[in-house]
Amino acid sequence: MAANAIDQTRRMLSLVTYLRERPGAHVADVARAFGITEDELISDLDVLPMCGTSFRGGDLLDIDTDGERIWWRNPDASGESTAEPLRLAADEATALLVAARAVATLPGLRESDRDALLRATAKLEAAAGEAAGASSRLSVTFESEGGVFADVDRAIAERRRLWLRYYSPARDELTERKVDPIRLFAVGHTYMEGWCHLSEARRTFRLDRVAEIRLLDERAEPPAIEPRDLSEGLVQPAAEDPEVVVEVGPGGRWVAEYYPHDSAEELAGGGLRITLRSPDPASLRRLALRLGRDGRIVSPPELAESACSAARAALAGYGEQG
Amino acid sequence: MAIAKAERLMNLALCLLGTRRPLSKRELRGSIEAYLEAGNDESFNRMFERDKDDLRELGLVIETVENLEGETGYLARRDSNRLPPVSLDAEEAAALGLAAKVWQQARLAGAASGALQKLRAGGMPEAGDPYEGQHSAIEPRIPVHEAAFEPLMLACRDRRPVVFDYRKSTAAHPETRQVEPWALECWRGHWYLAGFDRDRGAERVFRLSRITGKVRSRAGKYTAQVPDVVTVRETVASWAGESADRSARIRLRTGAGYPLRAKATSVKEGGDGWDELEIPYGHGLDAWLVEFGPDVLVVEPADLRADVVDRLRAVALG
Repeated sequence: MAANAIDQTRRMLSLVTYLRERPGAHVADVARAFGITEDELISDLDVLPMCGTSFRGGDLLDIDTDGERIWWRNPDASGESTAEPLRLAADEATALLVAARAVATLPGLRESDRDALLRATAKLEAAAGEAAGASSRLSVTFESEGGVFADVDRAIAERRRLWLRYYSPARDELTERKVDPIRLFAVGHTYMEGWCHLSEARRTFRLDRVAEIRLLDERAEPPAIEPRDLSEGLVQPAAEDPEVVVEVGPGGRWVAEYYPHDSAEELAGGGLRITLRSPDPASLRRLALRLGRDGRIVSPPELAESACSAARAALAGYGEQG
Repeated sequence: MAIAKAERLMNLALCLLGTRRPLSKRELRGSIEAYLEAGNDESFNRMFERDKDDLRELGLVIETVENLEGETGYLARRDSNRLPPVSLDAEEAAALGLAAKVWQQARLAGAASGALQKLRAGGMPEAGDPYEGQHSAIEPRIPVHEAAFEPLMLACRDRRPVVFDYRKSTAAHPETRQVEPWALECWRGHWYLAGFDRDRGAERVFRLSRITGKVRSRAGKYTAQVPDVVTVRETVASWAGESADRSARIRLRTGAGYPLRAKATSVKEGGDGWDELEIPYGHGLDAWLVEFGPDVLVVEPADLRADVVDRLRAVALG
């Protein structure tokens, strides 16, 4: 059942135009063409027989289904009202155009895909007319490394294993590893999800952290795993990960914007006390160093001490006493 | 049981699209079962006005015409509501199919599917099962986590002034800002608004995640002219320290600091366990260098060296 009456109405208006041309259409085909489940389609087909231009005039849509095929017995009763598809609304034009323009600018995308997107965008702009105007008020840029993107894309298509030199900011080190690529996705930055033979686990790699990449003449054989749900955040600390508490002043509030956290309590003076979890608290030393006078690690004490001694060691390099 | 809203909207749309002459409210009320059951005039009127607005959101152009008796009539003319012919080939259709999946925001995701369905009803071919390897394997997703997104998107679309509470990145408390919103832009997964700040009398860029509380609409028109080209990204990139106008020389321990090496304009191996790098010096470089702790030593300029030492002292105090 559609949660949103507007979406369902918009779909049903297109559906009647589509069905008019296709007597006896198959439920499965129509659902696929409309990008909905068969249940959603059936729920639309339950509503349509209650619709018409006058509920007393006997011109209700006589649309019927046996669960497999769909029959419309009086397509002329609704007159011209269902003969043609409706113009695009401003939000509809915006949603498609902004997305198509964003994807078309992804560095590394295949040229044939980019051309198809640009052609489709031009046709859509022409068809939308005025409704396309507001789409310039919304824009999205994806960041990607074109060369790395193209190699990962090719490896996925040819089912080949990859060799990477990959940077881990947590340890400030480059590691070499073999990866069987599973998918390529963009959420702000562009990432590859793959089976990592070094850690023997599924890993997500950010393309701008790939220092070097090679396609190997080995077949990629990633184990069958459920792809992760991209609507969730990319970083999902586990419940058993150790807790880290950071207190920041107003100048360190950005920490709460960048680090997924369990809680952020307001402190007097505009600061925050942020509780987060990390599988590897030592990796947060960078954060402690970066914060400077804008914040400090409250716990664990080992992490606070490691930041403190790193700062003293760095000061010694300048001939200063920490 | 009350009649579902989608059924009521569908009936109103069919009535307005099917008529050649304007229909009065009275006629529409007599034709649509849900309106007959609506109860008194006041609740019917409220429902009718809301339904017209909803249909307009779907793209329906509803004309209001007054007849000789002074009665208002409504109709949706075919010629102003029809989708012009769009001839998309299977490749273009597949490209739009990919684009329609990127939104993770309910309103735009619904709008994108709705647009595809209209195109489908207009004869857009179905992409067959694309055989493997034919298209880029990319799955692009546009994240929208900020509650302020939808009201600001609508305000940009309709050019409506807004008021919201905003906390600058380093401010202790939020401040009320009155803004004429121009455009929204998503960069590195975060949304930003560019617009005219009425109190400051100048263009400003806001990060949506720093808006606290509700975005409220204000009546009236814009007072400042909207520029032809609004550039959000340049402003944000300069916050992020990406518009460097100077250069700095640092010593970096061999093997450490790969991102610094990737950004460097020159790298000289010192042979003593340290390399010397020339890197662009923009806003925020001091904070970034401190992250590398004892693996980085600033050689020059002196002001950067002093900023880094200053930050290290604060951390060393614990």
